[in-house]
Amino acid sequence: MPIGTMMSDLVRSLFKKPATELYPYVKKPAPARLRGKLTWNPENCSGCQLCIKDCPSNAIDLVTVDKATKQFVMRYHVDHCIYCAQCVVSCRFGCLALSNEDWELAIGNKEPLGIFYGKEENIARVLEQLAQAGAEQPAVPEE
Amino acid sequence: MNLSLHPILVLLIFPGGLFLLASGLVYQWADRKLIARFQNRVGPRFIQPLADTVKLLAKEEIIPAGVHKGLFIVLPVIALAAALTAGLNVPLFGFQPAASFRGDLIIALYALSVLTLTMGLAGANTVSSFSLIGATRTLTQLFSYEAPFLLALLGPAIAAGTWQISKINDYAGQNIWLMLAQPIGFVVSLIGLMGKLELPPFDAPEAETEIVAGAMTEYSGRGYALFRLGKDVELVIGLTLVATFYLGGLANPLQFVIKTMALLLVLALLQTAFARLRIDQTVGLWWRAGALLAVVQLIAIIVGRYLTTVF
Amino acid sequence: MSADINKFVIPIGPQHPALKEPANFEFWVDGEIVTGASVRLGYVHRGIEKGAEARTWVQNLYLMERICGICSHVHATAYTLGVEKLAGVQVSPRANAIRQIMGELERIHSHMLWLGVAAHEGGFDSLFMYSWRDRETVMDLLEKISGNKVHYSANLLGGVKFDITPELAAEIHKGLEFLDERNRFYLKVVNQDETFIGRTRGIGTMNAERANFLGAIGPTARASGIAHDIRVDAPYLNYSEFPIKVQTHTSGDLHGRFIVRINETFESIRVIREILDHMPPGELTVRMPRRIPAGEAVSRVEAPRGELLYFVASNGTDKPERVKVRTPSLCNWSTVLSLAIGLRLADMPMLLTGIDPCFSCNDRSVSVKRGTQDPSVWSWEKLRQYGIEYYR
Repeated sequence: MPIGTMMSDLVRSLFKKPATELYPYVKKPAPARLRGKLTWNPENCSGCQLCIKDCPSNAIDLVTVDKATKQFVMRYHVDHCIYCAQCVVSCRFGCLALSNEDWELAIGNKEPLGIFYGKEENIARVLEQLAQAGAEQPAVPEE
Repeated sequence: MNLSLHPILVLLIFPGGLFLLASGLVYQWADRKLIARFQNRVGPRFIQPLADTVKLLAKEEIIPAGVHKGLFIVLPVIALAAALTAGLNVPLFGFQPAASFRGDLIIALYALSVLTLTMGLAGANTVSSFSLIGATRTLTQLFSYEAPFLLALLGPAIAAGTWQISKINDYAGQNIWLMLAQPIGFVVSLIGLMGKLELPPFDAPEAETEIVAGAMTEYSGRGYALFRLGKDVELVIGLTLVATFYLGGLANPLQFVIKTMALLLVLALLQTAFARLRIDQTVGLWWRAGALLAVVQLIAIIVGRYLTTVF
Repeated sequence: MSADINKFVIPIGPQHPALKEPANFEFWVDGEIVTGASVRLGYVHRGIEKGAEARTWVQNLYLMERICGICSHVHATAYTLGVEKLAGVQVSPRANAIRQIMGELERIHSHMLWLGVAAHEGGFDSLFMYSWRDRETVMDLLEKISGNKVHYSANLLGGVKFDITPELAAEIHKGLEFLDERNRFYLKVVNQDETFIGRTRGIGTMNAERANFLGAIGPTARASGIAHDIRVDAPYLNYSEFPIKVQTHTSGDLHGRFIVRINETFESIRVIREILDHMPPGELTVRMPRRIPAGEAVSRVEAPRGELLYFVASNGTDKPERVKVRTPSLCNWSTVLSLAIGLRLADMPMLLTGIDPCFSCNDRSVSVKRGTQDPSVWSWEKLRQYGIEYYR
C-alpha cells in the first residue's frame, strides 16, 4: 500500500535551491519575441491607418501634421494597449515593432501613459495644438 | 535543569508566558519554512509570524449577527490561557516544569484538549454553516484521536512507573530512548500529535477548500490572533511532550532545541507527503489502526514488565 | 425543501477558496452527506458576444481570445476557422501546423494546471506546487514562440503571426522531454498514492449511458468510456495528417478523469514531436478580404475541456452579424449536480474541479425568465429598470 509517493522529490528539494525566481532582485532575460511596449518609426509611414483600424483596443491614433510630405505623429496609449501585435502585422511597411526589453510598464499615475512618437518638431506642434484646444473648451475625459 | 524563578515570573515571562508565545511564533515559522522548502519554494521570512500576529491584532474584530457576544469574545482567551497553562507542567526549554505534581500528565493533556474544545464551541456558537460543519468535524476528530494518543503517552508513563511528567522526564533521560524500546507507541504518538494539532493530512476540520476555515471562519482580528497563538503554543507543548517521552528526555535547553526541531522536521515532511483525509477516513483510520496499535503497544509493555519482574 | 429543517445549505460561492472564479453552488447537506445541489452562473458575464457585433472581424479575433485565459488559443482558432470558412479562404499547411502545435502546447498547459488545482482541492498541496512548477516549462516554451505567456495571439485571419525556426524546434523538443518525464512521475503518484486514491476512486462514478444522458463532453465523458473527440470525429487543421489517439478510461470516476487528462498530455507531446519533425512548408499568411461575404458558418474544435462550438454569421460588412460561442464547461454542469447527491461534502470541491470548469468560458448567454412586456427583446432602459426593481 504505497503512501507518500512524492517522498523522494520532497526530500531532495530540501537540499536544492528553491524554484522561485526572486524578481525583482533577479531578472531573467526576456525571450527575443516578447511583446512589450510599442515603438513607431515614422520613416516609411504612408498614413494608411490600417494599424489604427485593426487595433482591438483603440490604443493608437494618428495625428496628421502634413499629409503631402507624410508628416505624422502617432499617439500611443500604453494603458489601452493589449500587446497583441496586430498593428505590427497590419503595417505593410514595417513601421511598428513591439519591444522585448521595455516591458516593466506598471506605473502609479496616468500622465506618462500617453506617448507621442514622431519627429521632434511635429510632436511639439501637436502638443501646442492640444494645449490650445484644451484652453478653449473644458477638458473632456478621455474615452 | 533547575530554574529558580518566582512562579509569577515563570507564568508571565520565562519560560512560560511571553517567552512561550515568542517561541510559538518561532516554531510556526520553522514549520512553514520547512514545508515550503520541501515543496521547492522559498517560504516566509523569519519575522513573518510576528508580522501576521501584529497585523491581526490591529484589525477590526467583526462580531457576526446571531452569536452569543460574550462567548464569542471570551473563547479565544480561554483557548490561549489553556495552552499557556499546559506549559507549566512540561519541561519547557529543558528546565524543570514550574508546577509539577502527581498526575500532571492528565492535566496537561486536558488543558490541550480544552483548546480544541473551545475551538469547537466557537464554531458551534456562530450561525454560519461553514463554522457549524467545522465545529462538528473538530469535535469528531477530538473523539477519534484522544484515546490512541493518550494510550501512546501512557506507554512511557507505565515504563517510568509514574504519571508525573518531570519524573518521566528524569526516567527517560537515564534510560534507553523509548523511541527504540516502544517504536509502535512512538509512531502512534507522532501521528496522534498531527491529529491533535490539526496538521495536514488531518486538517479536515479546517479544510480551506471545502469549508473556508472551519470553526474559525467568522473570526477576525483579535479573536483569530489569539486562536492562532494558542495553536502555536500547542505545537511547542506537543513537541515537548513527545520529545520528553520518546526521545530521551530534555535535560537542558540545547537538547530541547535539537530534539524538538528534529521532530518538527519529521512532522513537516509528513505534512507535505499526503493528501487530506476526509473526516470519515480519519475516524476510520484512528479507531481501527490507531487504537489497535496503541493497545498492542500497551500489551507489549505490560507483558514486558511482567516478564522482567518474573525473571 | 421548506419542510426539511434538519438539513441546511452550504453555499460554495460566489466567493469561496475552492473556486477560482465566482459561481454560486448550494448544497443541501444532512450532516456530511449531500442531498441536493443547485448552481447559479453568470457572475463573470461580460457581454462579449454583444461586444463582438460592434467590432470589426480583425478586432474580434482578440476579443474572442480573451474569453478565457487557459483556452485562449482554441477560442481564437475556432473563430478564425469560422471566418475563413465564410470567406472561402484556405490557409497554408504550415500555418495549420503552427496552430496545431500551439493548441497542443496549450492543452498540455491546461491539463497540468488542472492537475495542480485538483490536487489542491484534495489537500495535496505538494502535488499542486510541483505540477505548477513544471507547468512553468511549457509556459516558457509558449513565451519563446509567441511572446506572451497567457494570450498567445498566434492566430491571424488567414494564418499565423510567427514561424517556428529550427532552433525553436530544438528548444521545444528539450522542454517536451522534461515535461514527459515529470508527467510520468505524476501519473505514478496519481495511480499509486493511497491517500490520493482514497479521495478520487469511486467518487462521482457515472457509466457511459449516464454520461450520455447528462450530456457530458470532453475528458469528463471520455473517463466514462465515451470515445468522442472532435480531433478524430471532425478533424480540423492538420489533424487528419497528424492524428491523435482518443484516450478513454472505463472507471468513470474522478480517478479516471485524472488518468484521461494525463494520458492526453502524453498524446499531445507525441503529436507535437511528430509535427515538429515533419513541418510542412508554406507561407504564414494568406490574403483575407476585409469584408467577409454574407453567410453562416459553424466551427467545432476540441478545447482542453471538450467540444467548443462557434457560430459565426456575417451580413457582408466588415463587422459580424452574430458570434455565438458554446463552451464545453457549460455541458458538464449537469453531471456535477446529478452526481453530487449521496456524496460527502468533503468530496464536493474535487467533484467540481473534476470536470475542469472554466467559469469565464461559461457565462455567455443571459436568459430572461420573466419579461414585463416583450420578453424577446429588451432595451437597455428596460434591463436597467428590471435590475433596479429586483434589488429593491
